[in-house]
Amino acid sequence: MRGRFIWIASLMTLRELFRRRIVILLVVLIPSVFYLVTVLTTNMAPIPFQLAAVQGEPSLMVPARYIGLVFMGLASTGLLAAFLSMNLIQWDFHVTRRLIVCGYRPSEVSLSKLSVMLVLIILVGFYVGCMLRLFFQPDDFLSVIFGFILAGFVYGSYGLLIGSLLRGELEGILLITLLANIDIGWLQNPIFYSGSLNKALIRVLPAFYPSQMSNISAFSEFGIGKAFSGSLLYGTVLLMAAMLIFWLRMKRK
Amino acid sequence: MEENPGILQVHEVSKSFRRKQILHRISFQMKRGEICSIVGENGSGKTTLLRVIVGMLRADEGSVKLSGKMGYCPQECQLFNSLTVRENLIYFATAYGLSTKQRSWWRHVQPMLDEFNLLKDLGTRVSRLSGGSRQKLNFLVALLHAPDLLLLDEPYAAFDWESYLRFWELVNKLKVKGTAILIVSHLIFERDQIDTIFQLREGKFT
Repeated sequence: MRGRFIWIASLMTLRELFRRRIVILLVVLIPSVFYLVTVLTTNMAPIPFQLAAVQGEPSLMVPARYIGLVFMGLASTGLLAAFLSMNLIQWDFHVTRRLIVCGYRPSEVSLSKLSVMLVLIILVGFYVGCMLRLFFQPDDFLSVIFGFILAGFVYGSYGLLIGSLLRGELEGILLITLLANIDIGWLQNPIFYSGSLNKALIRVLPAFYPSQMSNISAFSEFGIGKAFSGSLLYGTVLLMAAMLIFWLRMKRK
Repeated sequence: MEENPGILQVHEVSKSFRRKQILHRISFQMKRGEICSIVGENGSGKTTLLRVIVGMLRADEGSVKLSGKMGYCPQECQLFNSLTVRENLIYFATAYGLSTKQRSWWRHVQPMLDEFNLLKDLGTRVSRLSGGSRQKLNFLVALLHAPDLLLLDEPYAAFDWESYLRFWELVNKLKVKGTAILIVSHLIFERDQIDTIFQLREGKFT
């Protein structure tokens, strides 16, 4: 593994990504619109939220607006991370193959994509978290941001997997939007589906652990160990699968 | 001792996709300073053969032996559109293992950029270049590391007349330096410039 190769590839990939107008537009628009719509459409009536990643699975009563904002933060981070990560693979796929013909190793390209994805999710998670602070003060702000970053990690890995599996951008966007909507937007979010709190299905969806982590941190003082390790494990499994498929596609056929 | 050693040996190469045979036991070889061309209709297997030689595709049967450095210019411009000309050059130079901090690298690249009138565009993003300039950069990327064998897939499709003439000037200079050049095209106008022409039809040389 050659460090200089990975460094140059990461640097160029980052430059390329942030020079695309659509990227800047999405980064600005998605969290702003999501937060704004939540503020305009929710009230402060308390609703129950089950902390399923805490021993005993206690329930909290939380103002609908606050919990809505946390979920929109998670949804924004997840969507952005997934979309950007998918595009890390799909955009310039053939040029990347040319780089490999010229001397890059598939593992070096994979590692550079991975490092760019990690930088992206930290930046996006921090940025979306800071925007949340404009609307309310969570109990443990840093852990909430960390939950956003983990949501970005899980969904970013999902985006890499979609990008590695599919060639079409439209199909990829469809799969990302579908899962993010159903998972973070609806099923995990008690504002829309309070009935899904007790369903086993939501526990196997990607946003379960990161959303638990952010909500535990935002509204309670319970420990976040299980939510943290669950998020990390979920994201790592998706990431390994994505990297393996990408590496296989970059090898000659 | 052999005076002009072979730089490329393609031996009995076959390739099929699903059940369709694209290449059927193709064999040929090239020596230093030789210019060869593979011509054929669209779909005759030219690009597939080139991709097997380059290493992007694995041959089902047969072998490809290459001695020395290889430069490959694909048919479509395969460049990073959001990066500038300079950044593309640095990125590909890194892939070739060249140290872009050394002045010798720049001394090698600068005349070629000048020859193709690209020096003024060093800071321009590739997406803002004209189609012809992109094609020229696509070609120059294949030359960055002074390859011993140059593989060109329809290299001058988007060139204007001036660039087309400069292309052949450069090709002849490279030939004199000992670079072997394989041009894949469906049209060849400069028959006198080419040492050997192979005609590919339905995956076979005719």
